[in-house]
This record gives sequence, C-alpha cells and structure tokens, in this order.
Amino acid sequence: MKTEFLKLIFLTQRNIKLYFKNKFTFFVSLITPLILLLLFITFLKSTYENTILNIIGDFKLDNKIINAFTGGWLFSSVLSTSCITVSFCSGMMIYDKINKSDIDFMVSPVNNMTIKVAYVIANLLSTLIICAVLLTIGLIYLSIVGFYLSFADLLLILLNIILTSLFGTLIANIVWCFVNSEGGMSGICTLISAMYGFICGAYMPINVMGNTMKNVTAFLPGTYSTVLFRKFFLTGVLDEMANYLPQEMTDIIAENFDVSFTALNNELSVGLMFLIIFSCVAVAFVILLQISILNKNKHIEKSKPVELNK
Amino acid sequence: MDNVIEINNLKKYFGDVKAVDDISFTVKKGELFAFLGLNGAGKSTTINIICGVLKKDSGHCFINNQSIEEIKNILPDLGIVFQSSVLDKKLTVYDNLFFRAMLYGLKKDEFHRNLKFFSDRLNLKDIMLKPFEKLSGGQKRKIDIVRALIHKPDILILDEPTTGLDPQTRVAVWKLIDELRAKEGLSVLLTTHYMEEAVEADYVVIMDGGKIAAKGTPVDLKNRYAKDYVYLYEYDNSLLDRLKRANIQFEKNKKYLKLSFNDIQSAKSFVLDNYRSINDMEIIKGRMDDVFLNITGKNLKESL
Repeated sequence: MKTEFLKLIFLTQRNIKLYFKNKFTFFVSLITPLILLLLFITFLKSTYENTILNIIGDFKLDNKIINAFTGGWLFSSVLSTSCITVSFCSGMMIYDKINKSDIDFMVSPVNNMTIKVAYVIANLLSTLIICAVLLTIGLIYLSIVGFYLSFADLLLILLNIILTSLFGTLIANIVWCFVNSEGGMSGICTLISAMYGFICGAYMPINVMGNTMKNVTAFLPGTYSTVLFRKFFLTGVLDEMANYLPQEMTDIIAENFDVSFTALNNELSVGLMFLIIFSCVAVAFVILLQISILNKNKHIEKSKPVELNK
Repeated sequence: MDNVIEINNLKKYFGDVKAVDDISFTVKKGELFAFLGLNGAGKSTTINIICGVLKKDSGHCFINNQSIEEIKNILPDLGIVFQSSVLDKKLTVYDNLFFRAMLYGLKKDEFHRNLKFFSDRLNLKDIMLKPFEKLSGGQKRKIDIVRALIHKPDILILDEPTTGLDPQTRVAVWKLIDELRAKEGLSVLLTTHYMEEAVEADYVVIMDGGKIAAKGTPVDLKNRYAKDYVYLYEYDNSLLDRLKRANIQFEKNKKYLKLSFNDIQSAKSFVLDNYRSINDMEIIKGRMDDVFLNITGKNLKESL
C-alpha cells in the first residue's frame, strides 16, 4: 500500500513535469486566457465601461470603481475558462497514448488505477498551478486599479477554482479515455479552448445571449462556476457602487454582467450553485471510475503489435 | 538448469491472421535465447504476450514458474526493450530513468548505485541531463536498454534492440549484457534480424508465419540446415577431375575453389582423403543466413 502510494506520488510528479516541459501544450492551454486578455485590451474593457456609463446616465462613478469592475470581470472570465481549458490541455494520459508510454507503464509493476489516479491528480495540480498564477496576476492588477475583495471572497474564489478545475479534470480524463490520436487530441483541445469561453459566458455575459442559449447554459455546470466567479470578484465593487448609485441601478449592472443569474427563471443562491458543481464533480468521478474499470482489460486487447512496431 | 520462461501451445490470432500459431519453447536461466524471423513472423506478438501487453488466445506461459495470468507479480522480474522508444521525449535522461525506476519500488540510493553502474559502462554521464528528444538514435537506444535494466531484472526481453545502432554502440551494449549474464545470471530473450547476434545466442528459434520453423543451438541448426564449405587456395589441378567424378559441388574463381558439403563429416573426410593435393585451405561452417534460407525459403536480409 505504501509502495503503491509512493508510485502514485512519483507518477504524479512525472506527469506535472512533463506538462510544464512541453511548451506546445503549455501554450495551447493558455490560449483562452490570452484571447481574453487580448479582447479586453482591444475592446472589451471600453465596451463594458460604456455599458456601465450608459446604465448610470448622469450619475458619477470614480474611474477606480469602474476599472475595478472591468478588471474583476476580466479575471473572473479568465479563471472560469482556465479551470476547464487548462485541465483539458494539461492531461498527460493522451500524450502517453500517443508516445506509447502507456505500454511502458503496462509492463511496469504499477496498478492501472494508480496510473489513472496519477493522471487526474497531476492534471488537477497543473491546472491549479496555472490558475494560481492567473489569480495572483489578477489580484496584483486589481490592487493597482482598485481592490474591493474581502478575505471571504478570496477563499470562495479558491474553493470555486478547486471545484471547477476538478470538474474539468475529470471530464477531460473521461474524454481522453476514448481518444488515441494526436489529431483527435489537438482537435478537442482547440475546440474546447475556442468554444468554452462563449458557452460559459466568459467572452460575453450570458444575459446578452438569446433565450434559447440562456436556457442551454442553465444545464452546463461551467455556467454556475462563471457566475460564482463573477459574484466573488464583483460583489465588493457593486457594494462600493451602491454608495454612489441607487440600488436599482446596481441591480441592473449586476444583472447585465451575470453577477445575479437566473436559471430557468429561478434565482440561485451561492450554496445551491456550489452544490450543483459538487454534484457534477461526483457524477464525473463515478463515470471515470467505471470507464477505468471497464477499460482495464480492453486496452490490452487494443494494443496490437503492429501499433508497437513503428 | 531451471526454466525461467516456459511457453506451451501458445496461440494468438488477429481475425484470420495467425500471428502466433501453437508454439512451445523454454528459456533456461542465464541463457541468451534468440528469436529469428522476418517482420510478421510472430516474434513481437510472442514477446508482447509474455510481458502482458497482449492477451493470448490459448496456451500457457510461465515466467519464473508463475503464470502470466498473474502478470503484475511477474513484472518486477522483467526488463523490456521495445522496438520503438517509449520514454518521455521532453524529460531528461535522468528524469526518465528516475521516474521509471521508482515504479519498481527502488530506493533512491539503490537507483543512484544502479545508474552509476550503467552510466560507467555505457558512458552516459554527459547526456544524463539532456532532454531525451535531443539524443542521437544510438544514445536513445542505450537509454532504452538502461531503462529496462535499471531495476536489475532476472529476465531481459529485447525486441530488435540494436536495429539502427552504430557498431561501436552495439558492441558496448552487448558487452554490458554479457557482463550481467555472467555476474548476475541474467536471462535474455532476444528478437533480431542480425545474424551476428543470433549466432552468439545459446539457443535459437526460427519463426515463420507464426509457427516455429526450427529450433536448436546455432551449431545444431548450422549442422542440420546449412552446408559446410571447404575453400581451397592452393591445390593440385588434378583435384578438379576427382571432384567431378565424386559429384561434389564446387565453384572456381581466380582466388579459390569453393566446395560444398552437406555436413562437416563429409567435408572433413574429403580433406583427409585429399590432403596430399591441398596446400592451403580452410573449412567454414555454413552461416545462419543459409540456415534461415534453407528453412524458410526466404532471405533474411531482404527484410532489413
């Protein structure tokens, strides 16, 4: 048991090291946050500033508050997408399949389940490391332009990062169980990186989407994660705005920027949204466990010698 | 001697293709056992079954008296070199070997001791911190072999280990394997295209179309399946008439007269009977190429 645990630690270390040494995968996994930063610098920041100014009309708001709001919105988007896209692109299971290292592990005295768990843990830790770096950059930026986050907000942001990354990691590992080629891996990574930002409301608020799309997003766990990030990053700024604006106005801003979110005409509490994400994590875990057990022997049969003998 | 590998009536089909068709053989402790065959003969399939990568359709495989159904118990005793490298391209040589060694439950000091042993013999010190992908083909192959040996297994399985290696590296690799065989009783199961490797084996199995076409020691196989040759460099011309009368096959050119005999006894008798007419000569046993050609009707070199 102790030996198997040590093997798990070494395999996890190896997987993390492999991810950070592979510049291509590292870059691909950062595409979404980079797109967001680029969009923010080029037009999103001014678009959101104009939206806020249009809502408040003749009322005056300090630039610091507006910058803190747009900055908070940016980093809530960056984190909500990164938790998923980084977890998809930092999975080493698929690289081992392509490189045939999985066969090397198959002929090593280590349990199949240890190998799978090491993939998940390494995947999760790599994602958390990247997200921690992005969060740090975000906090530094906000402390420069305007910082309105409480300690509780920070803790809840961390909890949301962990839960969302875990969900992304489990889903990614479920998908990688069925992919064997580099083409398949690149396609899925690119698709996730490009699409996820849209469907979770990171590039544009869910509130500006059509009703059908809004209803669809209500069934995606990523939506709740994004809304939670919005709440924790922006509630403090909205409270500060409330000192200068009527409550109705801050409510409209909150609604326009997904800080308050109604799913299928129901407003959901923070606790309920966390519960939804936690349930999705549990379901994903059970599915991955089942697939791993079912695939245990199938994998051996699939590995015909012709594939080995390049 | 104890059998470290025992294979009985092993079968593996892929649809209509009989990759391995009812083969049986044993590998003794400390033996260098060679599989010889063209691509698709069933060598790699057999090896993949032995190390648990493929499941057999029927038959029995035992390694160190344990059935391969319990492969996880057997794997610590095995070291395997696949045809293509399966190490991590982005990691350094050291990291690759370290992480793989840890899967065998090696302690760090034991790993470093083993690593030094192999590094000294294969001159790996300068490449230890290089990423695996930056190594030359020969260097990569050396690391593949060290990866298989780092935990000091009882049995080393080599699937075409020296294909593409320069002669110097090939010599270094075989010197290391010979040392481990001599000092630690390492048993080696080898598939190869190279005759000079097969001829060094203690026992050779020739596979063709998934079946064992012949097996025995290299000398046995040569005696049974290859002709023996007498090369005459200085001889009396009257010998030619005697050869024709005795119906002995020969080839004549400016340098020598080459006589072919079915076995060494015939060659020896001919030389003894005619020693007065021969001034300079040599007897050469048939080569493994000839053995392979005579058994399978195929030329091994064509598959290289």
